[in-house]
Order: sequence, then C-alpha cells, then structure tokens
Amino acid sequence: MASSPECVLDEMEAMRRGFTVRRIRFWFISALVIAFYAVSWNLADIDLHKLATGLPRLGHWIATAWPPKLDEVPLFAYRTAETVAMAAIGTTLATLLAIPMCILASRNITPWPALYFPARWFLNALRGIDSFVFALLFVAAVGLGPFAGVLGIALHTWGSMAKFFADHIESANLGPFEAVRTTGAGRLTTIAYALVPDVLPVLLSTALFWWEFNVRASTVLGVVGAGGIGQELKNSMDLLDFSRLFTIIAVILIVVTALDQLSGWLRKRLV
Amino acid sequence: MMTGQLRVIASSGSPALAQASDFSSVPKLTAAGVSKVFNGRHAIDDVSFIVRERELVAVLGPSGAGKTTLFRCMTGLLAPDRGTVRIGGDDISLLRGRERRRVAVVFQQFNLVSRLTALENVLAGRLGYVPAWRGWLRRFTRSDRALALECLDRVGLLDRATQRADTLSGGQQQRVAIARALAQRPSLIVADEPVASLDPNAGTGVLDLLHGIARTDGVGVICSLHQVHFARAYADRIIGLSHGRVVIDVPTSSFDQAAFENLYGPQAAGGPADSNA
Repeated sequence: MASSPECVLDEMEAMRRGFTVRRIRFWFISALVIAFYAVSWNLADIDLHKLATGLPRLGHWIATAWPPKLDEVPLFAYRTAETVAMAAIGTTLATLLAIPMCILASRNITPWPALYFPARWFLNALRGIDSFVFALLFVAAVGLGPFAGVLGIALHTWGSMAKFFADHIESANLGPFEAVRTTGAGRLTTIAYALVPDVLPVLLSTALFWWEFNVRASTVLGVVGAGGIGQELKNSMDLLDFSRLFTIIAVILIVVTALDQLSGWLRKRLV
Repeated sequence: MMTGQLRVIASSGSPALAQASDFSSVPKLTAAGVSKVFNGRHAIDDVSFIVRERELVAVLGPSGAGKTTLFRCMTGLLAPDRGTVRIGGDDISLLRGRERRRVAVVFQQFNLVSRLTALENVLAGRLGYVPAWRGWLRRFTRSDRALALECLDRVGLLDRATQRADTLSGGQQQRVAIARALAQRPSLIVADEPVASLDPNAGTGVLDLLHGIARTDGVGVICSLHQVHFARAYADRIIGLSHGRVVIDVPTSSFDQAAFENLYGPQAAGGPADSNA
C-alpha cells in the first residue's frame, strides 16, 4: 500500500510533474502581469527621451542655485514652523477624534454592533480622500491660510488613524478584557482598565508617526493656499528663482530630518 | 481530602463532624439541566450538579468533552440553550453588571493586564464595587488598596506588588490572578484549567491556594483539570464529563480505577498503548 513516506513522496512528485493545468495557469498569470505593466506604461506617458533632454536643464538650475538666499531664511523658518504647527494641531485633533471612533469600529468591543459597518465606511471615506483634497475644499470654505490646512490634515488623518487603531484592537488579545469584565466592571471601565494600558503606547507612537508624516505631506498644502512653507515654494517656482527654491528645500530637509530623529527617539521610549 | 477535613476540624472548636457537614450544605452553584448546542451538536447535554460552600470540585474529562462550554456557561460569558445555572439562589443569566462580581474567574492564560502592576491587576477585582471614575483613573481608596495588598500577601506576592505583571513568572501571574479573584469577594470561584500552562511545582502552589481559599473563605471552587493526580490530591468531589454529559459525580475517595477508565477509556489506563492496532 502507499503508506510509506517514500511512496507518498513519489506520488507527490508525479503529481507535480504531470500537472499541465498548473503550467497553463502560470503562463496565463504571467501574461496578465505583463499586460498590466504595458497598459500602465502607456497611460503614465513614459517618455525617456524627454527625461534625457530635461535632465541637463535641471542640472543648469542646480548650478544657478548657489549662493543660497540666506537673508530670507528667517521667513522660511517661520513658514516651516507654520507647517509643523499645522501638522501638530491637525494630528492632535485627529487623535482625539480617532479614540471614540476606533471603539465603534472595533468589531470585538463596540457597544453598538449595528454601527460597526457605518463607522468603517465613514473612516474609509475619510481615508480615501487625501488631506490635499480636503485642504482644497476648506480653502474654498474658510478662506486661504493655515487653518484650512489644519482641517484637511485632521480629517484625513482621523480616518487613517482610527482605522489603524481599530485594526490593532481587533487583533489584540481580549483575555484581560474578558477577565476584567467578569469582575463586574462596566464596559467602558473595562476598556479603560484592561485595554487602554496596552493600547496607549501604540496609540501615542502612531500619533507621533502621523505628525511626522503630516509635516512632510503638508509642505505641499501651501500650493493650494492652505498655509505653510509650500506657499513660498510655489512662489519661487513661479518666478523661476532657483536659489530661493533650493534654500527652501534645504530648510525643509533640515527640519524634517530633525523631527524624524526626535519622533524616532520618543517612539523608542514609548514602546 | 483527609488533610483538608482535618484542617477544618482543627480550626473549629466545636463538634467536628456535625460542623463539617453543616459547612458543605450551602449550595454556591447549582446547574440544572444545562444544555448548549453548536451547529446541531450538543456541546453539553443536560448537565446538572451542585458546588457547595467550602468545597473544591474538580471537573475532569477528555479534550472536547465540553468543559470549556460548561465553564463559559458558569461564568455568564455564554447563555445556555436550556437549563439554568444558579449562583446562590439567582439565575446567572440575570446577573447583570456589578452583580457579576459574585463569580470570580481564574483563566488558563491568567489574563492579567500585562502593562499594569501586580497590585493594579488585583485592584481590578474591586471594579464591581467602586464608582466608574475610580476605574477610569485607577484611583482607589486606601481601604481598597489595603485589601488588595492583603490578597497579594495571601498568595505570597506582597513583595511583587509594584512589579509589572508581564515581568512575573507564569506561576506568579496565576497567583496574582487568584488574588484578583479574592479581591472580588466572590461566593464562587470558577477556575478554567488554572494549572494547564504551569510547571508541576507552580501548579501545586496554585491548587494549594485554591483549596485553602475554599476552606477558609467559605466560597465554592470549581476547577477543570487535565491531571487526574491533581484532582485526587486537592478535590473534595470529582465530576467527570464525557461527550457533553456528566458520567461521574462522586466524592474523590470513590474515584477509582473503574471510574477513571469509564471517563478516559481503557487505553488510557497506563502502560504503552499498542501503536499498530
């Protein structure tokens, strides 16, 4: 009988060699992948010739970038601080809003299971619309300036963060939650006692990550008039003032790198 | 069993035998005709038994016999399809909110909040008594904190009070969980495989504690176990569960070889099984 390991192994090998269906499927999937990239290449309008002629022009601009516009650095620093502040307020607002939402959007602890799917849809909608698009809308609604940027950042980050927290809670070990619940504690007390201590460090670390991410993302918000360093960036580009442009980029790089280090250090201490 | 009886007799000055039988007369838990069906199959079927005050009852049975379902019904985490589980005189399915504190649960996986200290974990046992805001802020009264420390002292971990739960060994974590159960001042302790994740020494310590608590605190303890020798050493009564039904319910002294084979089948009796059957 085919009961020895040798026999089973022979059978498995024979099956693998003989299976033409498997081979057909392999080529079919390969063809699909190749077709996908061919279409994407076309749609993306890839033109290597343009790159070849454009690169020297870029090199020329870089050459004209020296010397940097140091006299304007205080202004750039102020605008960058505005960007950092926008990201900080927006992210904090998003975190505060995300806390109740992530409880609603966690299948395993929500007090109202009926609201689970609506909550998830709502968060997906917020997440699907970029802060840039939100900022565009808010510039129209509340006018030019950083406040529109703050609202844009807050809404998009709210969706992303609450979804991340909810996923984290859904995969968390609910043993302690169940144990505390059996002591006679109410649902919210149980969440506060059994879940928050374990989830809080992750939550804070995520908030820091999003702040850092939003600083980088919101450098461009100024382009649509939503405040911050992006406005200066766009002005310089419009004037083809490359020494000013590259000075701004340098300031952004320095600040972003410093924040990276700071938030990395803080997050390491949290977890 | 005998040592347990002796301890009770020694601690009470009055006529011993009458006293001992009086102690075991108050039912702490009464299960009557409890059934639960999953996917058309009875996980437990018409299960009835009683756990009395100062009694440690062990539930034995092979894997899949329905122990977990039965225990979830006893803690109110699961509602039976038929039958009732009564705590004292009250149906457990009607014990809502704070009233749930009357049943304390000890889990196989301890289920401590890992980032909180041992003391804070024990204080969780007071959440069924204090206003909600105290739970939210983890601010407890002096008397609650004193009680929690007493409970920690009883399980021999007073010196670990401020240590984070996840830095304790498995046996220590289970003892903290028992202290949490004690702080709840329950009338019944339900222990679901409390020693299955522990080494034999730690297991002995945990069962010693549960046995002592049953005797001195006047609570009922029901405890599922995998190791028959533990049940023989610590239980007053053994309930055998097989295919969702109670097949044995006897005082430990009557749990003999025949009862053992009845529960686990003749192959399990000992000696190497014939693998080429």
